[in-house]
Amino acid sequence: MSAEVDGAIGSLYPFLGTRPTDVDAVLAEVARSTAAKAAEIVALRESLVAEHGPRLIDCARRCAAAFQAGGTLFAFGNGGSSTDAQDVAQLFLHPPTTARPLPAISLTHDVALITALSNDVGFEVVFARQVAAFGRAGDIAVGLSTSGGSNNVLRAFEEAARRGMLTVGIAGYDGGRMAESEFVDHLFVVPSASVHRVQEAQTTVYHVLWELTQQALTGDL
Amino acid sequence: MSSVNPAVGRAFARRVAPAQALAADAARIAQACYEMAVRFHRGGKLIVFGNGGPATDAQHVVVEFVHPVIVGKRALPAISLTNDAATLTGIAQAEGFDEVFAAQLSLLAAPADIALGLSVDGRCVNVRRGLATARDLGLLTVGLLGGDGGDIARDGIADHVVVARSDDPCIVKEVHVTIYHILWELVHVLFEQPGVLEPEAVR
Repeated sequence: MSAEVDGAIGSLYPFLGTRPTDVDAVLAEVARSTAAKAAEIVALRESLVAEHGPRLIDCARRCAAAFQAGGTLFAFGNGGSSTDAQDVAQLFLHPPTTARPLPAISLTHDVALITALSNDVGFEVVFARQVAAFGRAGDIAVGLSTSGGSNNVLRAFEEAARRGMLTVGIAGYDGGRMAESEFVDHLFVVPSASVHRVQEAQTTVYHVLWELTQQALTGDL
Repeated sequence: MSSVNPAVGRAFARRVAPAQALAADAARIAQACYEMAVRFHRGGKLIVFGNGGPATDAQHVVVEFVHPVIVGKRALPAISLTNDAATLTGIAQAEGFDEVFAAQLSLLAAPADIALGLSVDGRCVNVRRGLATARDLGLLTVGLLGGDGGDIARDGIADHVVVARSDDPCIVKEVHVTIYHILWELVHVLFEQPGVLEPEAVR
């Protein structure tokens, strides 16, 4: 007897769940799907070059100018995107190569602050209140949301824009509400229906943005 | 379509081969996933660790397993050893930074668990110590590495090792994100295969 595999995963593995237990057949099929996913993410990244190339250059130049004027970068996001925010901050602040260290802080670290704001006010303000406390005109706000619809990320952009900060949004699917926000100066949308492929390509977007910002700082862009 | 700026073109082009190379590791990844799924099936938990950028990956892996993005997938137990600054700095102060993961594993791990260590060059002493300690405790050990795999790959410290084929830590990270997304998905695929995780089928 075999159960049906349902949902998104079932659609990717149509034959699974329809035949008796056969470990080797299952492993062969999952290996095949891994190869397919590798091809999928390569194609998705490739599709971003034409659309986002000029925007990445423009954004990197503005980030470099902000850093040169003494600006600090603040990064934020929820869940997996919170780990990306931390990765953005540590990449700018403590780069793996001889690249120039730049001031960057993730707003997702301080559990005392985040639980205090969530408990006393609401989760939608956890980033906006920190932007209000730390942000100055000329600083940079980088927000990530795979759906583009995270309330606390959108609220932080609004606060950052009000304070005269440069705002950079990284989103997936169709960009969601982030794509409609008047408070996002530079928007990078990864158009995929898979949240996993979106995250993988978003990682590339901020890595390339960092690389280009470093090049802009040395006058090589 | 306007022509692509050379700097952007180069940046994206450098990522193609390492991402494609992952396909060659597909069978290795499938086997690692299978053994991970068996461990979860028997009540084990996943323990993840790494330094710098990979510390954020450790936390990301935990979110994937505990709070799946696909509605209806069961939550599986996973913890990151990079979150607790009090414990981390306490161990580093008392026993040295090389012990920060090994010491936590000694305190928190059970033999049925899985240890997943990330290192962009395979040369992190504390990740190596963590994987070695985990293996001694009976855990399944998995290393996600980069570069040439470093001493962790060379010395066979982990049961399963996947090496992202790049010397650029940013690109290694990107390949690792794809790998751990696949690990999560395949563990669930295997969970939904009736019988394959039962003792009589396990190989």
